[in-house]
Parts: sequence; C-alpha cells; structure tokens
Amino acid sequence: MEYFEPKTVSEAVALLAKHGAETKVIAGGTDVMVDIKFKEEPGGLVNIKKIAGLSGIAENGAGLRIGALVTIREVESSALVREKLPVLWESCHQFASLQVRNTATIGGNICRASPSGETLAPLLVLDAKAKLAFADGEKTVPFMSFFQGPGKSSAGINGLLTENEIPYPAAGSKSVYLKHAVRGAMDIAMVGVAILLTPDAAKNNAQDVRIGLGAVAPTPVRASKTEALLRGKPLTAALLKEAGALAASEASPINDQRSSAENRRWIVEALTRRGLAQTWKAATGKEVA
Amino acid sequence: MSVIINTKINGQSVSASAEASTSLLEFLRDTLEMKGSKLCCNTGECGACTVIYNGKPINSCVTMAADANGAEIITIEGLADGDKLHPVQQAFIDTGAVQCGYCTPGYIMSVKALLDRTTKPTAEDIEEAVSGNICRCTGYNKIVDAIHIAADRIAGRA
Repeated sequence: MEYFEPKTVSEAVALLAKHGAETKVIAGGTDVMVDIKFKEEPGGLVNIKKIAGLSGIAENGAGLRIGALVTIREVESSALVREKLPVLWESCHQFASLQVRNTATIGGNICRASPSGETLAPLLVLDAKAKLAFADGEKTVPFMSFFQGPGKSSAGINGLLTENEIPYPAAGSKSVYLKHAVRGAMDIAMVGVAILLTPDAAKNNAQDVRIGLGAVAPTPVRASKTEALLRGKPLTAALLKEAGALAASEASPINDQRSSAENRRWIVEALTRRGLAQTWKAATGKEVA
Repeated sequence: MSVIINTKINGQSVSASAEASTSLLEFLRDTLEMKGSKLCCNTGECGACTVIYNGKPINSCVTMAADANGAEIITIEGLADGDKLHPVQQAFIDTGAVQCGYCTPGYIMSVKALLDRTTKPTAEDIEEAVSGNICRCTGYNKIVDAIHIAADRIAGRA
C-alpha cells in the first residue's frame, strides 16, 4: 500500500488528481481503518492530517468557518458552536463515543457521505456550504447538492474538502436535532431529524421551517414539501399531524439490520411532529394548540 | 510501504517502522510487544483498546500507527509506579470492578483521562467518559463505584 503525507492542500490535490482512483483520503481514521481491516485495503492512503490550515473554528462574517480536520469533540467543545449553531452542537454531542469524537473529524463525517452521518442533517438545515479544492481550482458547493449517494459526494475521488461555511440562522430561530437509536452511546441513528424554525416578527407564524432527515434515504435529505406546507402558518396540532405524515412520505428508507423501512417512516413522522412542537414552543413561547 | 514512527510511549522515546495500514493498537501489541491494550471489536466500538493520545482517550484500533509520529501516548503499562498501582487501578480492584478483565485496561485509560480533566466528575461526566467502553461482566455499577473512589483518593478526599 502506498502512503502519502502531503503538507499542503495543493500537494494533496495534486496527489489525488494522479492517484485518486486507487487511494483513499484518511484523517481521523475511524471509518477508513475499519474498511482496511474488514473490507479491502486501498492501493494507497493520503493522510491529510499534516496539512496546515484545515483546522480551527472561526467566526467569518455572519457565520462560522469550520476546518475539515476539526474533530467532532472540538466542535462539541466550542462555545461558539454551542451558542450559535446548537443543532450542529447537539449532533456532535450525540456522536458515537468520547474516544471516537476525539479522533473523528467533521470533514470525514461529511465526505464519508453516509446517509446516517450525524452532522449531515444539521448542515442541510443550516444551509451550509462545502469548500472543495481540486488540482484545477477551488469550488464552493452547498450541502444541499453535495451528497450524491452513499459514499458519493461532490468531492469525488480527486477533490479535498478543506472547510465548511456555516451561516448563522436568522435571529429568533430555534433548532433541534432528534436522533432515534437503541443505545444512547455508540449507536448509529435509525433516523435523525434536524429542524430549524424561524418565527415571523409577531411570533404568530412559522416564517421559515427547514427539516433535514438522516438515515432514511440514499443521502441525507431536506423534507422540502413538508417545509412548504408549514411556511407562513401557525403550527397547530392538526397541521403537525399532516406535516409528520408528509415528512414520512418524503423519506425513502431501506430495511437493514438497524430498522425496517416501515419503522423508519413511523419514526420520521413522530420525530418531525415532536421536533416541530419543540422548536415552535422555543421560538414563540406557545404550545402547539 | 513502511513508515518510520518516532513517538513517545509512557514517557519513553520509541522508534520503529510499521506498514501504513497498521493500526496504533497493532503497533503497540505486535511491533512493540506491549499486550496491555486489548484487541476486541477492532472497529472502534468497544473501547478495550483505549489509550491516551496527546492527553485524550482514543480507540487505538482505528487510529493509524503513523499518527503516533510526534505524539505522546500513555498506555495501561504506563500507569503503575513500580509495584504501586495507579489509584484508578487500585480502585477497580477494591470495588470488584474487574471480573473477566478484558475490558479493564481500556476502562482504566478512559477513567484516567477523565480524572486528569477533573477530580470532581459529575454523574454525566462519568457516563460520557466511559460511554465508549463496553463491559459484559460487571453490570457497570462497580465500575462507577470505582471511579468515585479513585476520584476521592486522587483529590485527597479519601
């Protein structure tokens, strides 16, 4: 197996342009090392951990810039993330175990492009963007179009995710990340639902609602029909019931060892209703009537 | 392709080479013959291989050995001072938190890392610190008891 330790982004993307088809990018290693042991050894590894400039969480205008090599624990430990992007904080807080969070990187979680990747539904509702480097230049891609299938993303085999641009949600908005799994720790989500709700100025209607669904489609997805149904309306029990059912119909889950598809739809329905009720109350001070 | 690894393990400088695909756990157990860190799930789920890497507990089975380069690593072998056990080790013995013992080195490293951060851990801190360690024997209560006793002893409260 070949092994590369590039020191710069340009060195890394030059390597990936040449060897991308037979090598794998590795950072924390919590996914790639398991593949090496239990699936197949790639032709080579490009270890990006020695590249300077891919770490750090910094305020950038009205948002945060989170480097690809920032660990999940660093995201979880950031007071800025906790205050400004609580939905992302929550997903990192519920991520695997402390040992894994100390090693796994946010860039790895994203580029793995697993439908159940813990940070992905939150990044979708935050309207975040990926900054990608290629041998022939940089590209910024919204996460809404970044994920193309399990393990497939706009980074492709030749690109490198360098950082994430995450705008702050509108003032007054409230968010939640609800994960359904058998165990509290270490478990992969059967379903993850991220919701971001912005009320109107009078706090009478949901001006903007974003719903991200994880582990229920080949990629993390936004429940855009459900979002449209709710936009501009006060949230009532009847509307929530309708929204839950619509969100379940927007999911396209599979049967696997963690859950049946049918069960996953039920959970989408329940978590969507629950998350909407919670964010509505947090944003308006009112219970769903 | 083999990689030269210069690292510090339990305070000692170590230099050895390993294949790029080698995990830190394999490097410790097979290259350096340090068998204290245990191989169990080999997927980063059970915590039996936990070591402290630059002050933080990690699963050595899913960490590249190459990433030990320039790092400081503490393993279970580095805790006792001659015949005197580390307070966490002694507390595990005193409370019966060890049964088959296979998970124990990993637990002890997670707990040591916790008590290096705080000697007044809350119930939540304890739960978080060992959430990545699985024990199939004890039912966990004795492990939690051991953590409290070790914290008290380290802080001089007992």
